[in-house]
Amino acid sequence: MKTAKNKVNVSAQEKKDPISIFIRGDIFTKLSFIIFGLSNIVRGQVVKGLIYLVAEIVYIAYMIQTGVSNLAKMTTLGTQQQGMVFNEATGIFDVVQGDNSMLILLWGVVTCVITAVFICVWLVQLYSGEQARRIQLSGRKVPGIIEDAKSLMDDNIHKLLLAIPVAGLLVFTVMPLIYMILMAFTNYDSSHQPPGNLFTWVGMKNFVMLMSTSDTLSATFWPVLGWTFIWGFVATFSCYFGGIFLAMLINSKGIRGKKAWRTIFVITMAIPAFISLLIVGTMLGERGIINVLLQQWGFTTQALPFLTNVTWARVTVIVVNMWIGIPVTMLMVTGILMNIPAELYESARIDGANPFVQFVKITFPYMWFVTTPYLISNVIANFNNFGVIYFLTSGNPKTMDYYQAGKTDLLVTWLYKLTKDSNDFNLAAAIGIIIFIFSAVFALISYTRSGAMKSEEGFQ
Amino acid sequence: MKKVIIGLRLEFLNMALVASVVALLGMFLPFVSTSSDKLSLLRVMGSSWIMVAAVVLAVIAAVLGIVNFVRPSIWGVRIWVIVAALQTLTLTVLLFASKSILDGSGLLSESFLVKSFGIGYWLSLIAAYVALVLSMKTAKINTGYIVLVILGVIWLFPILWVILTSLRAESGYYVGYFIPKGFTFDNYVNLFTNPSVLPFGKWWVNTMIVAICCCLINTMIILATSFVLSRTRFAGRTTFMKILMIIGMFPGFMSMIAVYNILKGIGLNQSLLALIVVGAASAAMGYHVCKGFFDTIPKALDEAATVDGATRLQIFFKITIPMSKPIAIYTLLTNFLGAWSDYIFPSILFGDKQASYTVAVGLNWMTDFRRIDTYYTQFAAGALVVAVPIVILFICLQKFYVEGMSGSVKG
Repeated sequence: MKTAKNKVNVSAQEKKDPISIFIRGDIFTKLSFIIFGLSNIVRGQVVKGLIYLVAEIVYIAYMIQTGVSNLAKMTTLGTQQQGMVFNEATGIFDVVQGDNSMLILLWGVVTCVITAVFICVWLVQLYSGEQARRIQLSGRKVPGIIEDAKSLMDDNIHKLLLAIPVAGLLVFTVMPLIYMILMAFTNYDSSHQPPGNLFTWVGMKNFVMLMSTSDTLSATFWPVLGWTFIWGFVATFSCYFGGIFLAMLINSKGIRGKKAWRTIFVITMAIPAFISLLIVGTMLGERGIINVLLQQWGFTTQALPFLTNVTWARVTVIVVNMWIGIPVTMLMVTGILMNIPAELYESARIDGANPFVQFVKITFPYMWFVTTPYLISNVIANFNNFGVIYFLTSGNPKTMDYYQAGKTDLLVTWLYKLTKDSNDFNLAAAIGIIIFIFSAVFALISYTRSGAMKSEEGFQ
Repeated sequence: MKKVIIGLRLEFLNMALVASVVALLGMFLPFVSTSSDKLSLLRVMGSSWIMVAAVVLAVIAAVLGIVNFVRPSIWGVRIWVIVAALQTLTLTVLLFASKSILDGSGLLSESFLVKSFGIGYWLSLIAAYVALVLSMKTAKINTGYIVLVILGVIWLFPILWVILTSLRAESGYYVGYFIPKGFTFDNYVNLFTNPSVLPFGKWWVNTMIVAICCCLINTMIILATSFVLSRTRFAGRTTFMKILMIIGMFPGFMSMIAVYNILKGIGLNQSLLALIVVGAASAAMGYHVCKGFFDTIPKALDEAATVDGATRLQIFFKITIPMSKPIAIYTLLTNFLGAWSDYIFPSILFGDKQASYTVAVGLNWMTDFRRIDTYYTQFAAGALVVAVPIVILFICLQKFYVEGMSGSVKG
């Protein structure tokens, strides 16, 4: 009876936020808000407590040494521009090292991330100390460092297995991402390149420049965005229906050697895409083999502008994408097609439905139902389909109306060009954020829609 | 009275015969009609054996059609189908070959374009296709073969071109013909024997090292992440998954410049290790497919093992991994392919340092317009050297790939 009552009490106390820990904790718990690991040390978890304490000391030392100044510099991103000062003693101009805005921003971000990690450590040690206190209160033995290590293999396996991925993500994905997001709010463009020049915060100016209607930038942004959307949908659905058609063709009754046929098409998808794209790109050039053959065969008297005329290039890109994408869909769809219950077709045939009606009423609804999530992610993937555009046309044909972009450039390839060729990092970052917003909104809308579909009884 | 023969559908026979005869009639109508000349297929048939074949096959097909009309039999119709297929094939070849044949024969006073084909040719071509389809229907053969053959030719055409180019003795990007004048293996040999000009062997080894390391490390990370996310429940699990999803929606290479600077900071820039480290660091984001698979493994197995005293780590290594061979192979394969053909990051990372290039960067470097004339045949050879191992690997492991991919659709 007493133990049961105890249990109720404990569960009532189980609120795990720092404030309630502070309120119900003893003096050591309260002190461990400032001195890391104290609560653990007092209750016998000496090694663990010391590790927390060392972490705190290292962090404080780091902050005193460079961290605080890193954060302070971030507000201005540097004030001292690199310059020349006449040195009267030697009679020449000396280079005076100025602030490097890029490094200031980078180290600022690093400091922020370290601080975030520090706050996590603070929370973790609070919980851990509180847990130790509670175990001690209930009269059980507080686990030592060896038991803790053992629990990593069992109850706390997520800590063991996720440590490396999380660390990797933090350093090489999250940190760079924050850095680039911040960059979208600076003027780090081709004319503000460190170390020669400083760049600074400009607020939303980059976004305004891209979205407004007066600049060459916005004259580039809107058409490129429009083409990205057209491309995303046309590329996805052309491959989707082409793949379904091909899979149904190979799967239909009376075709022998299904595996051999499938392999023919799979070869093109097995070749790494950049290779097949480079090859097809060279074949479609003005002096490429396709133009040579078309003239030899008497279909045309002069080279066709596959990659040099705007409309031709856009159609070519979509067609070549079908050449690459249809086998992928074919392979994926094959398994699903076989899952459709054969009785459905049989009864449809008895009712007198021809193959077309069967497709519209049975095959397609089934496919559509099963593959909606795939289609959504595929549309987003096609918005960001760097390879096809870059290796085939490099975004060309070029145009004077656009800033650093060609007529077949998608937002991502434009982003790449801005990063690699013209060093307009601020614009690239802004475009990256815009792409993120579009992908997120699109995914959100469609996932809620398809969620509604899922909650229905499903097909049949 | 209606005749019935098992294995044939005679209702199509009459129409097929009509189409076959129409195709024959096309021979007498103008094959070519330019402003100055009008020539039927019979008049020009002497200029090439393909033309002769077209005429002979048309006659045989019509005769076989009549024979089958009088005395239908299964084998009669099958032979008819074969002849009709050959006839259609020759007429299709003529669509492409007529220009060179007629230009060479001197029968025409002006040069030939496809648009100068006369009504006879188009009639024959269409009628031949119709006859083929109908005769195949009579013989109960799936007409999908016709479409598959045409699609197969389109799909394999670029591959055939690369193979021929890689064996071509004449160098240069522009050649006015499809089949090389001379064959040689020098393009392959040159790839590996000229390290000072074209360190292709080095690129290949670089890529191999990166791809193997990446696929092993990434697969371990993905399996571990998926296992944890699928089989255990801990505070912040869904938050973690949501964060991964959000990160995944940013275009991956947006942050490449920052990554480059960080790598520079720790002294890893321009080395292959950087590629492996960065690849492994973001591997966890590809957990979806694998987690979807793990979700289907019954929980009862884990519980039974726990009752027997197994730790979760043991469950992971002794139960989950052995049970998920298909998905592990799928993950290995996709990660290998991904690392093998990654272009963006190596191109930013290595810049002009040619010795560290991977094959993707190297091959792209070779097709630059300044170099394409020098390197085109070697580029083709290089493309094959890169692609062939992958294709073989892929076809062998196709089964696992399909399983993994259908998993990704459902999940």
